[in-house]
Amino acid sequence: MQVVLEAVVEPRRREILRLVRSEELPAGAIAAHFPDVSRPTISEHLRVLRTAGLIAERREGTRRLYRTVPGGFREVRAFLEEFWDDQLELLKIEAEREQQAHDRGGR
Amino acid sequence: MNADGREILVREVHIEASPEIVFEFFVDADKLTRWLATEATLDPRPGGACVQVHGGSDDGRHGPVHMQGTFLEVDPPTRVVFSWGFVEPECGVLPASSTVEVVLQPEGSGTRLRLTHRGLPPSAIEDHRRGWKQMLDRLQQATTPTTVRPTGGRRSRCPTTGPPS
Repeated sequence: MQVVLEAVVEPRRREILRLVRSEELPAGAIAAHFPDVSRPTISEHLRVLRTAGLIAERREGTRRLYRTVPGGFREVRAFLEEFWDDQLELLKIEAEREQQAHDRGGR
Repeated sequence: MNADGREILVREVHIEASPEIVFEFFVDADKLTRWLATEATLDPRPGGACVQVHGGSDDGRHGPVHMQGTFLEVDPPTRVVFSWGFVEPECGVLPASSTVEVVLQPEGSGTRLRLTHRGLPPSAIEDHRRGWKQMLDRLQQATTPTTVRPTGGRRSRCPTTGPPS
């Protein structure tokens, strides 16, 4: 469990999980999504995700391809947790903005 | 996990706004589209429509998905319950298969919002829930707030939606 938590707590690793959720991608294509991250760092992220059993690696010639391990509903749950966290953060910002506008209006 | 094997997801957040103002963000389409959906048709009374379009990803690989819900309980400004599910089966949560309950309580000069998403498909990592939440909380505390982009872009709104066929 700890391995899984440590794997998903890093934002870029969560982004990688999303990238390879619907399609298998070579390491190079994954790295291309993170121009500000070094290739060895991406390789390390992939290793951590693989160790946690969250992605699978397949070799095709010299290429290594990655895809999210079909975890069934685990993905749905993980997605929804993050979804609500993100959306509620937005709600907080928008509702507080609305309250401030309301207060300024003196009503 | 629930007694029936379905799962519950709970989120709480403090908002520095009155329950009345926060409540509007769940029942007013113009306000709901400021944080949750790109389009919304809302009829906030029991049995009324709660239909939302959630935008696709920026790169166009994921199309928008359609949340087809119904308001079940509407009790302003303290409680609203609506069913939650997507027309697209690949989202993993079918229409009417789950419910979202939002409870708003005054807290200080603002509101304590508690969101309970019930009826989710069973997952293999039930025991991880608490640890995961704590880890994410710690992560949140450890990182400075970054720019929040408006709803509708950034990523797929559904976990397994493939490219449009």
